[in-house]
Amino acid sequence: MTVIDRNHVQVRGDGQRAMIFSHGFGCDQNMWRFVAPAFEGDFKTVLFDHVGAGRSDLTAYDAEKYSSLSGYADDLVEICRELGLTQAVFVGHSVSAMIGVIASLKAPELFESLILVGPSPRYINDGDYIGGFSAAEIDELLTSLDDNHLGWSAAMAPAIMGNPDRPELSEELTNSFCRTDPEIAKAFARVTFTSDNRGDLPEVTARTLILQCRDDIIASEEVGEFVHRQVPNSQLVVLNASGHCPNLSAPDEVISAIRRFV
Amino acid sequence: MSGPDTQGSMPAEDLEDLYENAPCGYLSLQPDGRIVKVNRTLQTWIGIPAEQLLGKRLHDLLNTSGRIFYETHFAPLLRMQGFFNEVALDLVTADGRKLPVLANAMERRSEDGALLFTRVTMFQAAERRRYERELVEARAAADAAGATIKSQLDFEQQTAELREQFIAILGHDLRNPLASIAAAGRMLRKEEQTDRSTKVLDLMQGSVVRMSGLIDNVLDFARARLGGGIVLDRRAEVLEPILRQVIEELRYSHLDRAIEVSIELDGPINCDSSRIGQLVSNLLGNALTHGTPDEPVRLSAATVDGRLELWIANGGAPISSDAMTRLFQPFFKGEAGTSQRGLGLGLYIASEIARAHGGTIMVSSDDQETCFTFVMPLD
Repeated sequence: MTVIDRNHVQVRGDGQRAMIFSHGFGCDQNMWRFVAPAFEGDFKTVLFDHVGAGRSDLTAYDAEKYSSLSGYADDLVEICRELGLTQAVFVGHSVSAMIGVIASLKAPELFESLILVGPSPRYINDGDYIGGFSAAEIDELLTSLDDNHLGWSAAMAPAIMGNPDRPELSEELTNSFCRTDPEIAKAFARVTFTSDNRGDLPEVTARTLILQCRDDIIASEEVGEFVHRQVPNSQLVVLNASGHCPNLSAPDEVISAIRRFV
Repeated sequence: MSGPDTQGSMPAEDLEDLYENAPCGYLSLQPDGRIVKVNRTLQTWIGIPAEQLLGKRLHDLLNTSGRIFYETHFAPLLRMQGFFNEVALDLVTADGRKLPVLANAMERRSEDGALLFTRVTMFQAAERRRYERELVEARAAADAAGATIKSQLDFEQQTAELREQFIAILGHDLRNPLASIAAAGRMLRKEEQTDRSTKVLDLMQGSVVRMSGLIDNVLDFARARLGGGIVLDRRAEVLEPILRQVIEELRYSHLDRAIEVSIELDGPINCDSSRIGQLVSNLLGNALTHGTPDEPVRLSAATVDGRLELWIANGGAPISSDAMTRLFQPFFKGEAGTSQRGLGLGLYIASEIARAHGGTIMVSSDDQETCFTFVMPLD
């Protein structure tokens, strides 16, 4: 099995420079379908699914390897090496923002710049640091995933049907988007919401853009500002979009912010 | 929908009342996700009046895990396909209870595609959630029971394998000292013996024969279980001498017993003669051990209609029907009390030898006699 198959890597675009998009907790590379095509003229765009998500190879899931974000970062580095990318632009949403940060520390030559959409280095409050969730709340999340296996698995893969009003939704999309193996989803939730990568931020050498939404309950503006303060060569752009997924809810804003930065 | 017919027979449905008091919860969200309209049913369910709900976001009504999943899964799905169905959420009520619901949502867009509202319907799902949880628990219990059974089975299999390996090694190691005893007996016989010591040597030889038969059975059993069954070395052989030899050996170790023999075999028989000898030795030994001492054991071997038929019969108490079904299983030992008990392998090995020859062993037992009959084709 190649890295390309394992992560269902899709390469498009005509540019010399590469822009690699990494999806967050919840869905798959289709999170970028309103954003990535805008860069196909100037960049070689690379999309992929983390192992366990979308159309990745579920048999490649290794509970130990993926018990920390470092395992996911290793995959990202492997994909870049396999494709011969250097000095790429990395665009990571949600938990993938930190996966990109870790990968850029492992292999700095691969990434010229990092674009972090809704990043959070730690979701759990810690002293003066406000991550947005108490330890008890994250425990509740993880316990509810354990307790209500069927309920969540049904909830995580809601019946997705063809929608005549949205012809752009191909069958392959509706069959994979948000579909996650429940056991893997539980493990991914655990690693996402219990990681602490605050210590990695000051080590980042790539130039960095932080895209922050308003009213994002997953990664608040305070957290965005914290990331901005900690990452040496970083800019913070606060979008008008609200919620955690501006790549879907406000793709134009995201595209123009990325364009200005690159 | 408000045609004259329906108006004539029943009062028209009041759409405002239908919205407010529908048997499900309704709410509508602005494009920025804030609640702009919520029906009375939902207000009653969660115990929060409309004026406190307007301007809040849907995720403000959810518990933490629901909020996280709404943002990371359902909101993207809604945005991507314009709706979602049957999403399990927990609303938090005014007094802090969780109210499990199933939610459907659908976006309402204008002609130019701009999002106007997102409409959400909710149905209470406490019973369904309880049922789901019971299913999960039942599955966990079934998985645990399965795992226990499997580990017990694994343990049993390991034990059985160990036992069989142990038997194979034991049988092999017993052979050498027994061969030494047999050789020593033969040496002594060449010297001058008293009547008494000759008798002792006879007894010794009888015991050596019996023990050697037991060891052969043990080794065959182990080979049959661990390897590919009993292997034959078949050729056309005159069977009578080997049958006589086996009978004489056993007669020697049962000097007080009468054995009546009738052998009528036409020409050589295609078989493994030493295996057939072992089969006869096992059946005859069995008859001598379990048969009543005051009646003779009878053995008959004959070729009849293209078959070899060999039967061995003894008098005494019949075999119980319960024992009958297990006679040919390894390690089966009859209930009759006797000091000459073996390992319970004799009949198993005999039946394996019969099977390897394409034949069978049948048994009949009543108050008069117990008779084992071996039949094999003379192809």
